[in-house]
Amino acid sequence: MTDPDHDLEQALAALRPRPPGPAVLARLARDLDAPVSARGPIIAWSAGLAALAAVFVAAFLFLGFRGEVEAPSYQLVRADQSPADVQFYRPVRLADGSFVRPVRVRWDDTTRWEDPRSNTRLINYRPNDQFALLPLETN
Amino acid sequence: MSDAHADQDWRAWFAENGARLRLIARQWTRSEADADDVVQEAFVRFWKHQRHLPGNPNALVVTSIRRAALDLLRRSDRRSVREQAVGADMETVSWFEPEADPRLQSLADSLKLLPPEQREVVVLKVWGDLTFDQIGEQLLISPNTAASRWRYAMEALRKHITVRTHD
Repeated sequence: MTDPDHDLEQALAALRPRPPGPAVLARLARDLDAPVSARGPIIAWSAGLAALAAVFVAAFLFLGFRGEVEAPSYQLVRADQSPADVQFYRPVRLADGSFVRPVRVRWDDTTRWEDPRSNTRLINYRPNDQFALLPLETN
Repeated sequence: MSDAHADQDWRAWFAENGARLRLIARQWTRSEADADDVVQEAFVRFWKHQRHLPGNPNALVVTSIRRAALDLLRRSDRRSVREQAVGADMETVSWFEPEADPRLQSLADSLKLLPPEQREVVVLKVWGDLTFDQIGEQLLISPNTAASRWRYAMEALRKHITVRTHD
């Protein structure tokens, strides 16, 4: 299918629009040429300072991170054991005919650890509760 | 139109394309001076921020021109009386270089006589190198409407040329 307007379009394309005047070129040169030379050193300095700042931040993070992950060095400075709380119950008779006395013993263990470099403390508190049967002699 | 994506000197690119950009800008401005202002603003924006973008640089630069022209029209509404007076004077200025061929000269003169909505379609297609789809996007009309305006414009131009040639 041929385009009936093709010849007219070609004739239009042959027309030469008037170019902008020299004043436009001068203004474009002011906008597109001048900033390049002025911005060059600014961009270079900005890039340099940004790189320097990045190095400082990386070093700070790296060293800080290393300090945080270092394991604390705790030393045992005190160990306490509370007096035992002993409770005796009534004797009971077992299935085989023997007699036993139930006994319950409760006490606490406390240890204290310190890291002198960071001045931190670790207290380990552990309650204990044991139950036993004491055999009784019968005549 | 040479490749605006490449690291080309703006002067070379503008020397090749500045005239047609100005003709496009003239469709949406009231005077030659306004067209120059629009071309300057749009080209600086295009060259600094848009020429490395993917896509058709033609459509990008035309969009930039249209936006700059509409901004200027909004800004200059308050001084419209003075602009209209200046614009009337500038209507006598030809948009094209003089042609030795009388048929071409007649065509150049006839283009100005078209209704603005037809003329802008012709300018965007011939000198903007845009398709009807792209013209529709620029003017916020359907591609069919753009094609219809093109056909009406071609009919009108053909009539103008025939009448002038017979004169």
